[in-house]
Amino acid sequence: MTAIKVENLEKDYGKVKALKGISFEVKEGEIFGLIGPNGAGKSTTLKILATLLMPTGGRAEVYGHNVVSEADEVRKLISYLPEEAGAYKNLTGYEYLQFMAKLYAKTGKSVEEMLKLGVEIAGLGERIHDKVATYSKGMTRKLLLARALMVMPKLAILDEPASGLDIINAYAIRQTIKRFAREEGVTFLVSSHNMLEVEFLCDRVALINKGIIVEVGTPKELKEKYNAENLEEVFMKAVGVRL
Amino acid sequence: MSDFFVIVMKELKDLMRNKQIIVGMIIVPLILFPALGKMISFGISEAKEETKVILVNFDEGKYGNVLISALKAAPNVTVTLIDAQTVQEVIQKAQAEGYNVVVIIPKDFSKNIEANEKTYVEVYAVFKGISAGIKESVSEGRINVVLQVLNEELAKLKISETVKGNPEAILHPIDAKSYSVIQGRIVDVPPSVVSGIIYSQAFSIPLVLFIMISYVSQMAATTMAAEKENKTLETLLTLPVKRITIITGKMVGTAIIALVASIAYMIGLKYYISSFSPENMTQIGITLKDLGLEMTPKGALLFGISLFLSIVFALSLAMLISVFAEDIRSASTMVSMIMMPLLFPIWILMFKDVSTLPPAVKYFLYAIPFSHPVIASRAVLLKQYGIVYAGIAYLLFISGAMLYITAKFFSTEKVLTAKLKWGKRRGAEK
Repeated sequence: MTAIKVENLEKDYGKVKALKGISFEVKEGEIFGLIGPNGAGKSTTLKILATLLMPTGGRAEVYGHNVVSEADEVRKLISYLPEEAGAYKNLTGYEYLQFMAKLYAKTGKSVEEMLKLGVEIAGLGERIHDKVATYSKGMTRKLLLARALMVMPKLAILDEPASGLDIINAYAIRQTIKRFAREEGVTFLVSSHNMLEVEFLCDRVALINKGIIVEVGTPKELKEKYNAENLEEVFMKAVGVRL
Repeated sequence: MSDFFVIVMKELKDLMRNKQIIVGMIIVPLILFPALGKMISFGISEAKEETKVILVNFDEGKYGNVLISALKAAPNVTVTLIDAQTVQEVIQKAQAEGYNVVVIIPKDFSKNIEANEKTYVEVYAVFKGISAGIKESVSEGRINVVLQVLNEELAKLKISETVKGNPEAILHPIDAKSYSVIQGRIVDVPPSVVSGIIYSQAFSIPLVLFIMISYVSQMAATTMAAEKENKTLETLLTLPVKRITIITGKMVGTAIIALVASIAYMIGLKYYISSFSPENMTQIGITLKDLGLEMTPKGALLFGISLFLSIVFALSLAMLISVFAEDIRSASTMVSMIMMPLLFPIWILMFKDVSTLPPAVKYFLYAIPFSHPVIASRAVLLKQYGIVYAGIAYLLFISGAMLYITAKFFSTEKVLTAKLKWGKRRGAEK
């Protein structure tokens, strides 16, 4: 089944054209990476799919539901982790997960089940009962990933899930994403400007540059096509930069 | 638990743990105000202590002694007679021995009175330090009261010696008997007392409203701007919860905290004021009820509805404004800039009845939602319900419209992209 279907998607911010008609599809259970430099249009694409922004042209569907006209339906299926997200500082990590679980509980799983899973994914030990204000960046990010995944979404949209984190925290987050895709069948749409991270994580990737998708394929296919050692090289060749 | 309730509870928890809010809500109104009042009332009670008078009599006639007996008979005054040659000498003694007041009866005191000439008494209040001087002025006031009584009695005595008739009637031929007419009913209370009661009412309602609306709107702006500043808004907006539920949930949570804060503020302020004005209206024993100005349950309900609707308006407007702010501080500034011009005109209502104002000012005040609870608070006392109903109808319309606009705004992407640009800086777009 198709989890995401994007056709000729456009987005203008006034005079700036952030997306110039992109198209791609993501299959159910896949980890799909959207990669490109800063300002390429990754976050805009993710925000449109997360029902936060309205496209100015084209269409986008999540499990057959239009993200504009059926936004309420889409929100029941997705879980979105923004790039620069935070949690409520005056709540403890546990209370934050509890608040979110209560709002999602009607979609199937019980609050207790979600909380148990959330605490496990966050992996913060006893610190889960401390206020979020006392958390490091890595701890907050793990808490937010736990929030996004404990609700067992059909589609998780993660914007730069491991950006700015140290090796250990970034590794833990990538492992969790892989586990949820393989064991729980959750579909992932992940954006990153870290091409090596994406190569490790994603089943298929789309290379995006200046609002246009330049290539789509598995990391292996793309490397072979461009005769490159890694995705970084693929990207540079695909956008026509001489190495 | 419904989504609405979950959001209200989260909002309450989040706000209650905000140290700034707790300090503003408890420390300032409930500790600082009463403490300040206590300090002032301590100064006043100290001033009410015994007035210790040191007195020198240079007079040789009988009236000097009459004055001394009158002072001795006065309540809270103790008189010590001494012999001295100069004023300086008496004052030095007064300072050394802790007297508040020095009274000097001059040489020709009795002689002048007998000759029907004006005379005088010298009164010196001794300031012990640079304080408010309440004690010294109270003491001087006590001496003046004694002198006034003595003046009257001497005048009456002289009148009875020379003219036939009632000396009191000759000295004060006219007395005023004051009544007040309230809503066509004659009340045996002087108008100054009635206006005192009505003034305290007229003053307190706009003040209460001002504090409450300021609190409510600042807090609403803070909670919404905090979602932006702490980067929690985007997540919140992708949850499977209706946008109107998110807004109203936040509004109710905010309103509860703001109302608690306002009540704390009122309690603190009441303590503060009552600590140095013991002779308030309840001690005179006259209440609004005695004047026939009673708030009926119907009146209270209508006033409550009017107040509630104006709070809804303030909350919706503050939330809408805060959408344009990037962080808490700018949200707070923007809300103040827009709310204050809407709140200040209601001060006019402290001093004026809306119906007595020129048409332009009157309709301007009618257009401001926050005028209506103030107008209603008075109209219900006079049982003039027409204007209250009209006010509620207007508030229902304007608060409903404001809430609708805010909800609409939140269901578009503008809630994330709207930004008021203050000149130079332009946010980089992705």
